[in-house]
Amino acid sequence: MITAVVFLPLIAAIIAGIMAFMRHGADEHRSHSIDRLSQWVTCGALLLSAAGSISIFFDVALGGNSYTYELMTWIDSGTFEVSWALKVDSLTAVMLIVVTGVSSMVHIYSIGYMHHDRHVPRFMAYLSLFTFFMLMLITADNLIQMFFGWEGVGLASYLLIGFWYHKPTANAAAIKAFVVNRVGDFGFALGIFCVFVIFQSVDLDTIFAAAPGHANDTLEVFSVEFDALTIACLLLFVGAMGKSAQLGLHTWLPDAMEGPTPVSALIHAATMVTAGVFMVARLSPVFEFSDVALAVVTIVGASTCIFAATIACTQNDIKRVIAYSTCSQLGYMFFACGVSAYSAGIFHLTTHAFFKALLFLGAGAVIHAMSDEQDMRKMGGIWKLIPVTYALMWIGNLALAGIPPFAGFYSKDIVLEAAYAANTGVGTYAFYMGLLAAFLTAFYSWRLLFMTFHGAPRADEKTMAHVHESPMVMIGPLLVLATGAVLAGWVMYDNFVGGSVVQFWGNAILVLENHPALENARYVPTWVKLSPLVVGGVGIVLAYIMYIAKPDLPARMAETFRPIYLMSFNKWYVDELYDKIFVRPAFYLGRQLWKVGDGTLIDGVGPDGIARAVRMLARRVSALQSGYVYHYAFGMMIGVVTLITWYLFTSAG
Amino acid sequence: MPLSEMPNLVPALPELFLAVAILALLMIGVFLKSDTADNAMRTSRQIWMLSILTLVLTALLVLTVSGERLYTFNGMFVTDQFAVFMKILILGGAGLTLLISRDYLEMNSMGRFEYGILCIFATLGMLMMVSANDLISLYVGLEMQSLSLYVLAAFRRDEQRSTEAGLKYFVLGALASGMLLYGSSLIYGFSGTTNFTVMAEMFAHGGDYAPSLGVIIGIVFILAGLAFKVSAVPFHMWTPDVYEGAPTPVTAFFAVAPKIAGLALFLRVMTGPFGDLVDQWQQIIVFVSIASMVLGAFAAINQTNIKRMMAYSSIGHVGYALIGLAVGTETGVYGVLVYLGIYMFMTVGTFACILCMRRGERMVEDISDLAGLSKSQPLLAMALTIFMFSMAGIPPLAGFFGKFYVFMAAVEAQLYGLAVIGLVTSVVGAFYYLRIIRVVYFDEAGDPFDKAVSRPIAFVVTLSAAIMVFFILYPALLLDPAAAAASALFGG
Amino acid sequence: MIQALAFYMFAFMTIASAILVISSRNPVHSVLFLILAFFNAAGLFVLLGAEFLAMILVVVYVGAVAVLFMFVVMMLDINFVEMRQGFLQYLPIGGLVGLILASELLTLAGSWIISPDASRVGAAPIPDGVTNTHALGQVLYTDYLYLFEAAGMILLVAMIGAIVLTHRRRTGVRKQVIADQLARHPADTIELRKVDSGRGI
Repeated sequence: MITAVVFLPLIAAIIAGIMAFMRHGADEHRSHSIDRLSQWVTCGALLLSAAGSISIFFDVALGGNSYTYELMTWIDSGTFEVSWALKVDSLTAVMLIVVTGVSSMVHIYSIGYMHHDRHVPRFMAYLSLFTFFMLMLITADNLIQMFFGWEGVGLASYLLIGFWYHKPTANAAAIKAFVVNRVGDFGFALGIFCVFVIFQSVDLDTIFAAAPGHANDTLEVFSVEFDALTIACLLLFVGAMGKSAQLGLHTWLPDAMEGPTPVSALIHAATMVTAGVFMVARLSPVFEFSDVALAVVTIVGASTCIFAATIACTQNDIKRVIAYSTCSQLGYMFFACGVSAYSAGIFHLTTHAFFKALLFLGAGAVIHAMSDEQDMRKMGGIWKLIPVTYALMWIGNLALAGIPPFAGFYSKDIVLEAAYAANTGVGTYAFYMGLLAAFLTAFYSWRLLFMTFHGAPRADEKTMAHVHESPMVMIGPLLVLATGAVLAGWVMYDNFVGGSVVQFWGNAILVLENHPALENARYVPTWVKLSPLVVGGVGIVLAYIMYIAKPDLPARMAETFRPIYLMSFNKWYVDELYDKIFVRPAFYLGRQLWKVGDGTLIDGVGPDGIARAVRMLARRVSALQSGYVYHYAFGMMIGVVTLITWYLFTSAG
Repeated sequence: MPLSEMPNLVPALPELFLAVAILALLMIGVFLKSDTADNAMRTSRQIWMLSILTLVLTALLVLTVSGERLYTFNGMFVTDQFAVFMKILILGGAGLTLLISRDYLEMNSMGRFEYGILCIFATLGMLMMVSANDLISLYVGLEMQSLSLYVLAAFRRDEQRSTEAGLKYFVLGALASGMLLYGSSLIYGFSGTTNFTVMAEMFAHGGDYAPSLGVIIGIVFILAGLAFKVSAVPFHMWTPDVYEGAPTPVTAFFAVAPKIAGLALFLRVMTGPFGDLVDQWQQIIVFVSIASMVLGAFAAINQTNIKRMMAYSSIGHVGYALIGLAVGTETGVYGVLVYLGIYMFMTVGTFACILCMRRGERMVEDISDLAGLSKSQPLLAMALTIFMFSMAGIPPLAGFFGKFYVFMAAVEAQLYGLAVIGLVTSVVGAFYYLRIIRVVYFDEAGDPFDKAVSRPIAFVVTLSAAIMVFFILYPALLLDPAAAAASALFGG
Repeated sequence: MIQALAFYMFAFMTIASAILVISSRNPVHSVLFLILAFFNAAGLFVLLGAEFLAMILVVVYVGAVAVLFMFVVMMLDINFVEMRQGFLQYLPIGGLVGLILASELLTLAGSWIISPDASRVGAAPIPDGVTNTHALGQVLYTDYLYLFEAAGMILLVAMIGAIVLTHRRRTGVRKQVIADQLARHPADTIELRKVDSGRGI
C-alpha cells in the first residue's frame, strides 16, 4: 500500500515525461490528445495515491499500527548503513493526507488552469515528480533519504518556478530560490554529518533511541554552549529555515510566485515549504533535548511571523500578499514547535495546507478571470461577476484569519495558547508577536478581499468584459479544499491537540515532561483564548474602514507614516541589504578573482600554463609512438632493464 | 605400467565444455554451405549466434561450479570465487563485444564464420589463464589467447592497417612471451617448481627459504610479460597502433576481455605464489601504475582518432587498476575487481557507440566526426556522454566508484603519492573525455551518421548506460561478489 | 673428462653459431648457422641423457623449421642490405642497454643459490629401467595431460589462423578437377579432319 502511494506519482511522472517528448513535433490534434492523456494519467495516479493515503491514515494514525517498510539496502559502507525504507507513523500519515490530498486537487485544477499552455505534459510530469519527492521526504526512515527527498523537492521547485523559462524574471526567481535554498541545505547536510558523528548512524529510529543518553553525556561533559545536540539541531534548523522561508532565508519565496499559480499553491504554500516544520516535528526526540535550539526555533518563528505579516499589508501583487502570508503562517508553526507543541504546529500545518491552497487557487481563478492580471490595484468590483470564487475566497480568508468555526481558528488558537502556556520568556515573546500578527493577518486578508472584489472596477473595459467564472474542473478542487478549510479544524482538533493527543501521535512525537506547553494550553486564562478572535475582528473592521468606507485613507496614512510604509512596502529592504552585503561584494570579489586572480594569476600559471605544458608533454609522448616495430621492441627492452636496474639499486643493497 | 587416475574434471567443466563447443562449432562452420557471398554471410551469422549462446552456457556452467577452492589436473588448474568472478566478467565482456560486432563484420565483408570461433577460442585461453595455478598452464592459456588475438587483429587481411596491426602485435607479443618464459625459467631454476601452491609455501614468511635475487629478477620478467598483455607502460607501445589498425569490434574485444584476463592473472600471480614477497615487487607495480596513469592521461590529449584515444584511455585505466594491486591487500584487490567490473560495461558501451559512427557504408573514426551528434541522434549522444562522464570518474556515475574504491585502498595503505597522482591524472584525463562531449554537443554539425542502429548495439548501449547511471542505487550487486572474490584470493 | 670436454665444445659452438646467426650478412648463412646451433643444442641434450629431446630437436627444428626458413628466405626477395641500414646508428645505444642487462644477469649468476627444496619438489626424475621416450610418455599423458591437450588446442588455433589469413577464393583461377578430367571423352575435344593434300586447310 505505502509503496503504491509513494511510487504511483513517480510512475505517472515518468509516463508524462515520456509524453512530453512524444508531443514534440506532433500535430495539433495529436498533441491535444497527448495532453489529455498525460492529465488523465497523472491525475488518476494522484487520486489513487490520495485514496491510499486515506486508508493508511485510518490504519496507521487512527488504528495505531505504525511500521517501517524496507525496500532495499542503499549504501552499506563500514559502519555507515543506509537503506531505502518507508517509515509510516501518525506524523507520516497526516503528512500523506496533506500532500496527496492537496497535490491531487492541484493536479485536477491544473487541467483547467494550464489549458492554454503548450507544455502540459511537462508541467504534469514536474508536478507528479514533485509529489514523489515530497512523499519520499515525509516517509524517510533515515536522514539521508530525507535529504534525497529534500533536494528532490528543491529540484522540482526550481523546475516549476522556472517553468515559463522564456520569462527572464521566472529564470531569475528559479535561480534565486535554488541558491537561497542551497544555504539552508548546506546547513542540513552539516547537521546530518553532525548527527552521524554523535550517533554513528543516520537511521531515525536509532537516533531517537540513543538521543536521551547522548543528551545527558554531553551536558555533563560540555558546557551548554558547546552542547553537541544543540549544534546538530541548530544546523538542521538552518536547513528547515531555508526550505520553509524563515526570516533571513525567506527572500526566495515571494519571488517564487513567478511560477504558475497551481505550483504556488502546491509547493510554495501547502507542502514543500512546510517540510521544515515537518522535519523539526519529526526530529522532536532530538530537539527536545536541546533547550537552546528550541528557543532559537521559537524566536525565529515568532519574528518571521510578525515580520512577514507587516510586509503583506502593503504589497499590491495578489500572489505576493498570499506568499508573505504563507511565510508568516510558517512562523506560527515554527514557534509552536519551539515551545514543544509539535502537534499544534502540525495541526496548523494541516489546516493551513487546506486554506492556503484554497486561497492560492482562488487567486489563480481570479487571475485567470482577469486575463492574467496580478496587480490588485487594477482589479476591484468583480464580486458579482465571479460569485463562486468570491465566496470561496471568503472561506479561505475566514479560515486564515482564525474566525470560528473555520479551521484556522482552532489551529491558530491552540498555537497561541501553547505559546502563552509555555511560560518562558521566548514563549511570551512568541505569543505577543503571534497576537499582533493575527491582527495584521486579518487586516491584510480583508485588504486583499476588498481590493480585489469590491470598490470601483479599475481594470480596462476589455478585461472587465472578459471576466468569467472558472470552469468546473477548477472550481471542483476549490470546493474540496474549501470543505477542508471549513471542517478540518473541529474534526481533527481532538485527535491532533485535544484529549486523545497522546494515543493519536503515539511514538511519532516526543515531548518531555518539562515542556508541558500543550497540556497547559487548556488552562490558560480566558482573555488569552479570546484575544486572537478579538484582534482578528478589529483587523477586519480596520480593513473595511480603510478600503471600503474611506478609500482615501490608505494613501494619507502612507503619507503620514511614510518611513514605516516604505519599510514595509520594500520588504524591510532585506533584498537590498542582501544585495549590498552578499551579492554585490560577491560579484565584485568574483570579478576581481576572475579577472586578476583567475585570469592572470591562476590561468596564467595554472590551467592555461598547465594546459600548455600538458599539450607539449602530450606532443612529446605522441612523438614516441613512431610506428616502427623495432622501436617498440627496443622500448620494451629498455623497460625491462630499467625495472631490473631500479630493483637492484633500491632493494638489493 | 600403473594406470594413473582419471583427473577430476568437474572444476574445469566450463573450459572443457567451451573447448568441445569450439570443435563442434568449427565442424558446423566448415560443413555449412558458404560457396556464395550470401551463404557465407548466413553461415557466419549462425556461428555468431551459436558463439554467443556458447558463451552464455559457459557462464552458466561457471556459476554452477562456483564454490570453494578446487584443484585438479595435478594442481595445475584451480577454481575459486575469484576465478568465478573473473570468468563471469570475461565471458560477459566477450559476449557483449561479440554481440555488437555483427553489423560491422557483415558491412565490411568480414562475415566469415571463423571470427566467432576465434573470439571464443581467445575466451577459452582467458578462462585457462584465470584458472592457472602453474607457470606452464599460465603460459599455455596466455598463448592460446594471444594467438587468437593476433589473428583477430589481422582479420581484415585485405586492409593494410589491419594486417600491420596483426603483425606488430604478433612480433611484440612474441617478444613479451619470450620475456615471460625467461622469467618463468629463472623462477623454476631458483625454486625448483612451477606450481603456485608449492611456491607460495616456499616463499611464505617464516619459511626456511629466503628468496634469492634470481627469483626476484624472474618475477620482474614475468611482470614485464604480463604488463605487455594488459598494455601497461612501458610495455604499452603496441596498443595505440593495434587498437587503431584492428577492425573496430576486435578493438572493443581487445579493450575488454584480454585486459580483464591479464589483470586477473596479475592478481593471481602477485598475490598467490609471490604474495609474501610484496615488499619486493610493490615498488615496481607502483612505478608501472604511475607511468601508465600519466601516459594514458597525457598522450590521449593529442589524439584525433577515437580508437587511438580509447587505446590511451585503456592504458590509463590499467594504471588505475594496478593501484589496487600495488596496495597488495584484500581491500586493494577488492578495489581492482570493482574497477574491472565497471570498466567492462563502460568500455563495451563506448565501443558500441563508436560502432554507430557510420556514414553510408563507411566507418568513420575521427573525433571531429562526432560533431553535431546531439542534434542528429540525441539518445546516442546522451549515452556517449554518460560513458565519457563515467570514464572521467564523475559521480554519481559508476566510473566514479571504480576509482573511489581503488584510491581508498591506496590511502588506507598509506600510499598517498599514488592516490594523489591518480587524482591528478584523473583530472587531466577528464580533459579529453570532456572534449568529446564538447564536440558532440557544441561543435558545428557535420554530416550526420546513419540513423539505423541495429538492435544488438542498441541493447548493449542501453544496458551499459543504465548500469552506469543506476549503479549507485544497488551497488551491492557488484560489490558483494567482488568482496567474496577478493577474500577468496587471500583466504584460500 | 671426455664428457666435460664435449660439454664445453657443444656449449661454445652453440653460442658462437648463435652470434653468427645474427651477425652474418647473408641470410642464407644465417639459417645455416641456426641449423648448426640446433645441432649443438641437441648435443647438449644428449649429454644430459635426454636422447629423445635431442632427436626431436634435430627432426623438428632442423628438418622442418629451419628448412622452412630456408625456403622463405630464398623465395622472398628481401633486400637485406637496406634492412640493416639503421644497424650502426642504433648500435651504441642498443649495445649499452644490452651491456647493462648482461651485467645484471651476471650479478645474478654470482648470487646463484639453488634452493635446498629444489631437488625435493623437482618434477618427475627419470625413472630407472625405462627408455627416455617411455618416461616422457608416462608423464605427458598423465600428470601433464592438461597441458598436452591445451597445446593441441593452441596448434589448432594456429592452423585456423593460417587458413583464415591466407586461404581465399579467387575468381578466374583454373583449378584441376580430376573428375572432369577423367570424364572427358576424346570426341569432345578432338576433331578429325580429312585434309586434301596440297590444298591446305
